[in-house]
Amino acid sequence: MKQYIMKRILLTIPLLICISFVCFVFINLIPSDPAEVALRVRQVPVITDEAIAEVREELGLDKPYLVRYAGWVADCLRGDFGISYTNPSRTVAGELARCLPATLQLAGTSLILVILLSLPIGFLCAVYRNSWFDKIIRMLVFMTTAMPAYWIGLLLMWLVAIKLDLLPTSGSGTFSHLILPAVTVSFTYISTYIRLIRNNMLENMKQDYVLYANVRGIPQKKILIGHILRNSLHTCFVAIGMSIPQLIAGTIVVENVFAWPGLGTLCITSIFNRDYPVIQTYVLLIGVLFVVFNLIFDILQTVADPRLRKEAS
Amino acid sequence: MKRKFFMLVMAGILAASVITGCGNKEQESKSETSTEASGNEELVFVNYRDIRDLNPHLYAGEMYAQEMLYETLVNITESGYEGCIAESWEISEDGKTYTFQIRDGITFSDGEVCDAYAVKANFDAIIENKDRHTWLEMMNLLKGVSAPDEKTFVIELSEPYYPMLTELGVTRPFAMISPKAMKDGSTKDGVNEYIGTGAYVLTDFVTDEYAVFEVNENYWGEKPEIKKITVKVIPDNQTRIMALEKGEIDLIFGKNMIDADAVNKYIDSEDFKVALSDPTSTRQIVLNTSNEILKDKEVRQAIQHATNKEAISEGIFYGLEKPADTLFAETVPYCDIDLQPYVYAAEQAEQMLDEAGWVKGTGGVREKDGKKMELSLLYNSDSVTEKTIAEYLQSEYDKLGISLNISGEEEQSYRDKMKAGTFDMVFNICWGTPYDPQSSLAAMRQPVYGDYAAQLGLDDKAEIDAAITEILTSTDEAKRQELYTFVLTRLHEDAVYIPLTYECNKAIYRSDLEGMHFTQTQYEVPFYDMYFE
Repeated sequence: MKQYIMKRILLTIPLLICISFVCFVFINLIPSDPAEVALRVRQVPVITDEAIAEVREELGLDKPYLVRYAGWVADCLRGDFGISYTNPSRTVAGELARCLPATLQLAGTSLILVILLSLPIGFLCAVYRNSWFDKIIRMLVFMTTAMPAYWIGLLLMWLVAIKLDLLPTSGSGTFSHLILPAVTVSFTYISTYIRLIRNNMLENMKQDYVLYANVRGIPQKKILIGHILRNSLHTCFVAIGMSIPQLIAGTIVVENVFAWPGLGTLCITSIFNRDYPVIQTYVLLIGVLFVVFNLIFDILQTVADPRLRKEAS
Repeated sequence: MKRKFFMLVMAGILAASVITGCGNKEQESKSETSTEASGNEELVFVNYRDIRDLNPHLYAGEMYAQEMLYETLVNITESGYEGCIAESWEISEDGKTYTFQIRDGITFSDGEVCDAYAVKANFDAIIENKDRHTWLEMMNLLKGVSAPDEKTFVIELSEPYYPMLTELGVTRPFAMISPKAMKDGSTKDGVNEYIGTGAYVLTDFVTDEYAVFEVNENYWGEKPEIKKITVKVIPDNQTRIMALEKGEIDLIFGKNMIDADAVNKYIDSEDFKVALSDPTSTRQIVLNTSNEILKDKEVRQAIQHATNKEAISEGIFYGLEKPADTLFAETVPYCDIDLQPYVYAAEQAEQMLDEAGWVKGTGGVREKDGKKMELSLLYNSDSVTEKTIAEYLQSEYDKLGISLNISGEEEQSYRDKMKAGTFDMVFNICWGTPYDPQSSLAAMRQPVYGDYAAQLGLDDKAEIDAAITEILTSTDEAKRQELYTFVLTRLHEDAVYIPLTYECNKAIYRSDLEGMHFTQTQYEVPFYDMYFE
């Protein structure tokens, strides 16, 4: 078992190297001169060749490509992600640290909403399949999966904040500011999970063990919750593992709409400002999060599932 | 049994939603009093991004905020220059020496005295970073600054330079920060605090969320009516409008902060007022006179006549950006001269092209000596408006037998191409107030912007450049106007620029907010004149 975990961890290293390299290459593939971009970002009205040379040296852009990559990776490992072009007094690490809590708060609340809502609804849909409740939910699921998040956000804002006058439109600070963005982010995921749980349960209901349980006279409630639901949650568990980094990355649009001061807003502002070091680090961070969560949930699942455990050892 | 269980669950969900719904309402009505925008001395402003680094000697901060905190030696007003930190000034007869009398009793908001020595310290810090500021011609002409006593500040130039006071009066870099806030007398690597002499002080800010400005109790001038200004950061256009509608903000102001739909929606509203400024800058297409086809003046003039600006103004900007007749609007200093605009006349354009030897060939595209009339129009792919205009012109020109290829490029490469002159036609926006016309014209003489490359094919390029140089150093007002008239007339007749529309500042605000107006500096929001009725 330990060996398996070690192997999984070691296997992520080449993956991480790939991600970092892709991040670095992509940013450097952009045809513009980063020194000139930096000057433009700092809104220097006229850019002279001397100024470009000065900034190029300041940013270390005069060194060869691979040397810069190696230097960048070494810096990243030390936690030094460089300095923001827009505001030279701020480090990229500091910017990410400033924005991460807000995003985690939003993603966390959304995740709780997703679990709290999709589990009972998915369960009920499966139990009362083809009832009008199931049909309505399926229609809603179909619609919300197709609706882009920013649109849901604006509709909710218009309805809840303006027409019903229940919540503030945007910003952060109190719990009431959190509700609309969290609901918006969770919408798409709730739909996905309702469908996942419903379909998994329906699959499981056809399994032989359900028939045997019925034959043994085990109460319906116990079969549904203790056996069918439990067995259906395996795939959900893995899906949640992937959804966490997805939620963190996926808040970009919603954060922007609701002026939520998290990583998404930072990323969008950086894209508009062409603040390359911030974009680069953001992409790297999200890539690493996917790898790490995939790893953790893989290991957890192997530990939890006796069949997989056997296979692993 | 099943049915009963189901009904129970449904009832539970319904009850839960009602309870939580009510709970929220109650909570909200409580918190609303604290977050509500109104109040007679408090104003909530909005911007699409953070205030960023408000160092007045660099260019990375929001200008409206710098205008609130800092002041310059002089102010640029509608009626000319006005003393600010300098009470009065004298210009020597040769136009090379400026002597400023510093106003009595001005202190920075940290208590430091703002005298000639403090001004000198600021200039020293700016000069230390001279390369960053050479886009202002005066930096190149600057010989030295001195403070002979605490009341007198002297600037010496190597040559006379008439826009000197304008350059001293723009938001940056010549705004004064407390010498105590500098890092060892230097500002090029950042400052410790944002301390100025302006009407407001920055009391609180959270990056990407909000900034709070409160009235400077030690302000030397008349204190503004609005005592507290909170600036919220809302990046999304729609959200800003909704926040205004809900009363969370009082004022939206800026060139690109409001779209045409919103302006049209509120134009007849009773709760909100809409204001549009005079032109701040001109949206234009630059024609490359070195191009094989465009080097012919007849062709350039024909294209001018083929461009329907009214249709662009109405169809694309819903009338918000008025059609432009000349490179600079008549409201720009020195630009109210008698120029005959190129009116839209498709037939005349066709006739002119025929006369120039470009006749319609196979496929309806004009040809001359076996060469097809194919031109490309470059636009910044980030700009949806430019793309829309480009597509419109493509179809319009096509009817006249001009084949227009449109290509959008990412901002940086779009700028690179402009600079290198590798374009036939390209979109551009001039610098805008208060840099127009002097800085825009001055920049035409150097290969930094597309203008230089575009004008290279003109026979009279050298003459125009010489005249621009003379404008900048001339000390005689009448002579200067004469030279401006000459340059602007030449550029107009040479048909290098197709003026499209005039950009303007737009504002939507609560109807009980009074004193909202636009100033000579397009980035300044005149909070100090505002009050609630």
